[in-house]
Amino acid sequence: MSDGTATSARSTISLHQLGVFCGFSAAVWLGTAEAPTKLFSDLRAKPHLIVWALLAGMLWAVGNTLTVFAVRNVGLAIAFPLWNTNSLVGLAWGCLLFRELRGSRTKDWAKVVGGALAIVFGAAVLAIATAEQNSGAPGKAAIGIIAALGAGCMFGTMYIPYRKAYISGMNPLSFVTIFTFGELGTVYLLTAINSGGIGPLTAQLRLARPMLFWPFLGGFCWVIGDLFQQYAAKYIGIGRGIPLSNTNQLWGLAWGALVFGEFAGLATGGRLLILAGSAVMIAGALSISMAEPPPSEMENWNAAMHRECDRYHLDAESVAAVVAGDDPLADTKHPRRWWEVLIICAATGIFIWLGVGTRAQHIYVNMPWMIVLIVGTIIPLGWCGTLLWRRTRFS
Amino acid sequence: MKRSKWACILTDVHLWVPVVVLALGTTLLMMLR
Repeated sequence: MSDGTATSARSTISLHQLGVFCGFSAAVWLGTAEAPTKLFSDLRAKPHLIVWALLAGMLWAVGNTLTVFAVRNVGLAIAFPLWNTNSLVGLAWGCLLFRELRGSRTKDWAKVVGGALAIVFGAAVLAIATAEQNSGAPGKAAIGIIAALGAGCMFGTMYIPYRKAYISGMNPLSFVTIFTFGELGTVYLLTAINSGGIGPLTAQLRLARPMLFWPFLGGFCWVIGDLFQQYAAKYIGIGRGIPLSNTNQLWGLAWGALVFGEFAGLATGGRLLILAGSAVMIAGALSISMAEPPPSEMENWNAAMHRECDRYHLDAESVAAVVAGDDPLADTKHPRRWWEVLIICAATGIFIWLGVGTRAQHIYVNMPWMIVLIVGTIIPLGWCGTLLWRRTRFS
Repeated sequence: MKRSKWACILTDVHLWVPVVVLALGTTLLMMLR
């Protein structure tokens, strides 16, 4: 991969295609090694974006806590499709605040809006087909529905900071790093309030110690997926990128059905509903994938970028290069620093420590299908990560 | 006249939309507890 003339050796894949691949892949970790060096140069150049990255993390934390109340009161079947409308909220903000889809042809509007609606509809069908029971407490359905819609609003609005950061030329790896502080700080605060203080919270965590590795592993996969989502939001915008990422429900379904045998007793009607919901969702995703923004829409994207440059006195030429995936700093070699190794060792150490003290969960697993799905997860990771590196150097 | 960075941030609609949504969401969450 090393080359002397990095620019000439770069792939010429279109940014639209690249963004689509990122939206589908929803899992990556290759770029993380570049994070520390990017982070500091990015934050020095655009310190105002720290506010938005923290804000995005806080929105995620509140939204995610709302989903707990929603599932408790109305069950997953109703709650999930309601908060899955986050893609429609994101689409609206993208259009209103960042000029996405403006100047686009009617057929592109139809592909994107129709695709997003199809994905929400597919999610609703899948949730209804797979949920066991409405677990809601009587009389609390309205509260659950409000909580689920609230979560959708939080998640959809969270994409405002995403898009703002990327049209200002911020690197997704830097954004995710700051986002994490807002996210963890807010979750910690909310959990402490709900648990009755830091003491009870610590006691609960100590009790949960034998199984803490599993949520940690889930969080690790989520962050990897979120990195791809960030690149999708950067290269194809939130109106197109977020609905594509929301097809993650199909993967969740595949794990549940094939690996954990969750739907073994499902009647034929339920199975048909699952097939129909999946087909609608895939059709919606394909529709969005084929809606590459025309030059007239790209002019509007550029206008949104220039608004940020004028307002925050950013160098428009350099920001335009980063937005197009050609970060001038990306090809510069940075010497590795001792604290980067320290961060990697600390992160790995935490995982090993959690893994050593973990108790195995006794649940049925279909090993051949698990291997197939793990391979199916690693392939897009390697493939899309390689594409991103070759085309953008993770910029 | 060139405005300070903080003035630019505090008068940015991109800030106030998420802040208002976050405030509403947090209020809802506190009501549901």
